[in-house]
Amino acid sequence: MSGPIVVGIGGNGSGFEAAREAARLAAALRVPLVLVFGYESTSMGPRGGPLEERVSAIGDEAVDQIRVELLATHSSLAIEVEMVPQRPAEALIAVADAKGASIIAVGHGGQGPLRAALLGNVTYEMVHRSQVPVLVVPDDDDDEVAAT
Amino acid sequence: MTQAVAVDHDVPSKGLKGGSLGLVAVIVIGVASTAPGYSLAASIGLVSGEAGVKAPFIMLFAFVPMGCIAAAFYYLNKADPDCGTNFTWGVRSFGPKAGWIAGWGCIVADLVIMPNLAGVSGQYLMLLFHEQWAANIWLTTIIGIAFIVAMTWICWRGIELSARSQVALLGTEMVVLIAFAVIAISKAFAGTTRTVDVEGVATTYRSVKPSLSWLSPSGLTSSQMIAGLVLAVFIYWGWDTCVSVNEEAKDSSKTPGRAAVLSTVILLAIYLVCAFGSVSLLGPKFVTDNAGDAIYALGKVALPTVMVKLLVIAVLTSAAASCQTTILPATRTMLSMGSHGAAPEKLARIDRARLTPDFSTFLFGGISIVWYVLLVVVSHNTSTDAYSASIAAVGMAIAVYYGLTGISCIVYFRRYLFKSVKNFVLIGVLPGFGGAVLLFVFVKTVWDARSAAYGNGTIFGVGTVLVIGTFLLVVGVPLMLWCAAKYPRFFSFRPDPAELVKDPDGDDTLAAPLGTYRKDVA
Repeated sequence: MSGPIVVGIGGNGSGFEAAREAARLAAALRVPLVLVFGYESTSMGPRGGPLEERVSAIGDEAVDQIRVELLATHSSLAIEVEMVPQRPAEALIAVADAKGASIIAVGHGGQGPLRAALLGNVTYEMVHRSQVPVLVVPDDDDDEVAAT
Repeated sequence: MTQAVAVDHDVPSKGLKGGSLGLVAVIVIGVASTAPGYSLAASIGLVSGEAGVKAPFIMLFAFVPMGCIAAAFYYLNKADPDCGTNFTWGVRSFGPKAGWIAGWGCIVADLVIMPNLAGVSGQYLMLLFHEQWAANIWLTTIIGIAFIVAMTWICWRGIELSARSQVALLGTEMVVLIAFAVIAISKAFAGTTRTVDVEGVATTYRSVKPSLSWLSPSGLTSSQMIAGLVLAVFIYWGWDTCVSVNEEAKDSSKTPGRAAVLSTVILLAIYLVCAFGSVSLLGPKFVTDNAGDAIYALGKVALPTVMVKLLVIAVLTSAAASCQTTILPATRTMLSMGSHGAAPEKLARIDRARLTPDFSTFLFGGISIVWYVLLVVVSHNTSTDAYSASIAAVGMAIAVYYGLTGISCIVYFRRYLFKSVKNFVLIGVLPGFGGAVLLFVFVKTVWDARSAAYGNGTIFGVGTVLVIGTFLLVVGVPLMLWCAAKYPRFFSFRPDPAELVKDPDGDDTLAAPLGTYRKDVA
């Protein structure tokens, strides 16, 4: 395995546990870790200005928090960050494609199978669409993003 | 999804373009956000009530000012693609107070239309199962409320139909609407009659042979034209923003432009054939007498049962889409106002997991339900048809805030107006004309609607349309003054100085952040 491990991060701290697991793997395999924050912006109507700013600020906070934590535990790990203005699932697939990822890691999302299938769920979509192995890690309920 | 705003991120953009939309999808989103099925269902009966067989002309005529305003949206969006649109642009051109009111106008228009969306959905959903149920006001109201709750929830969750499911839904809608129009027109040519029992009196409706003269304004008084216009502008509502936003997608070279033109042609064509079919099938009076569920009543005459069900489903799905394009702009305007410090900061709160403005969304949903119930109670217990009046009222609110947008485009880009013929036409003439027409429509409607003769009954002796159309707009003034006292920083903003406005045809068109120019700052 030589491609990086790609992890999906949510604005509320979902995917943090997946990132920790992925970081352990990436450090062992000596591959980079890519943190991906995808944020869907609807195609209907303008969304620039404060909407864009606030949403990406939430992403920055979440990604920065887990990045700092991971760097503290794995000092030699190369961590890249991708903020992608697309639906989280699209963002993950696209980044994984572009980087030739070896594994995609995602949080569990905590939804039942029916809800996930009906409402759409990153985990569910990854499992079905990804061309590379998917690592699903249950989220830690205590993970929270502290606003800066 | 198309990208409305270029965001600074260090992603190799080439590898990530897999999700960008093709021509068909962009057209679909443009047409779907205008919700043709729902727009027709809600307005055709009222328009034919004003204009009779000239309804097709009104449908075409209403496009003119809306099409002109799209130019203003396009250019202002280049300077500031802020999700607060009219609000932000109003501040930049006229100052904080006018901007605040423009934003309020947008929120009000979205709010006023919610009962109609909910009502049409409640009624058409019942028509799908049992015709008698649709007449039960309590049943349809409860369904309508459930519908608002569901749509609010969907907007909060940030769920959006994928482009592919939109293609399927809109495709069905288009096929059914065209089939309906074609069959109705051919039946009208063949000649058809129907006798219906209206409140104990047998009334016979006869078809009218369609004529191209229905596309000309001859025989219409100016009052009828204005009244028709104020009812019909709303059928194009949503189209303009979508066009300007899709246009913004810089990376896709020709798709957005072509898509904008094509979606416009499709939209106009569908409205025209359906208007022709509707008024010709059993004459305009039948449409007017069945204004509440005109498309269904007509469909039952024209189409086989299965197609009628499909027609009802088409109206339902498009009402749902329309709800999204109503709640989203309203909550974005609220978010923008909260974020720029023009209103409580809480309005700009974003849900960390869903990445949507949760507080604004719930607030808007809640107020919509209150407003809906209020309208139902008033309509049900008095002779006032507040429900139909709200379509005209929403036309008034649209006229105000779109009118302001048209004018603010000229004011904002005044330094570039005479730079080229293209500028003069696209930044000056079109937005100016559209804005002037819409503001005139507003003033004239206020004047005409003050008396009971305007229709839809009266409240305290004043025409209902006027009460609904202006009451909510006027409520904005004390609210604005309250905000002015509470948020002095925002109200110290100055309009962007003309000499610092950037050339809309230049490489860098983005204006300095809102609030850069202030009264106390040199």
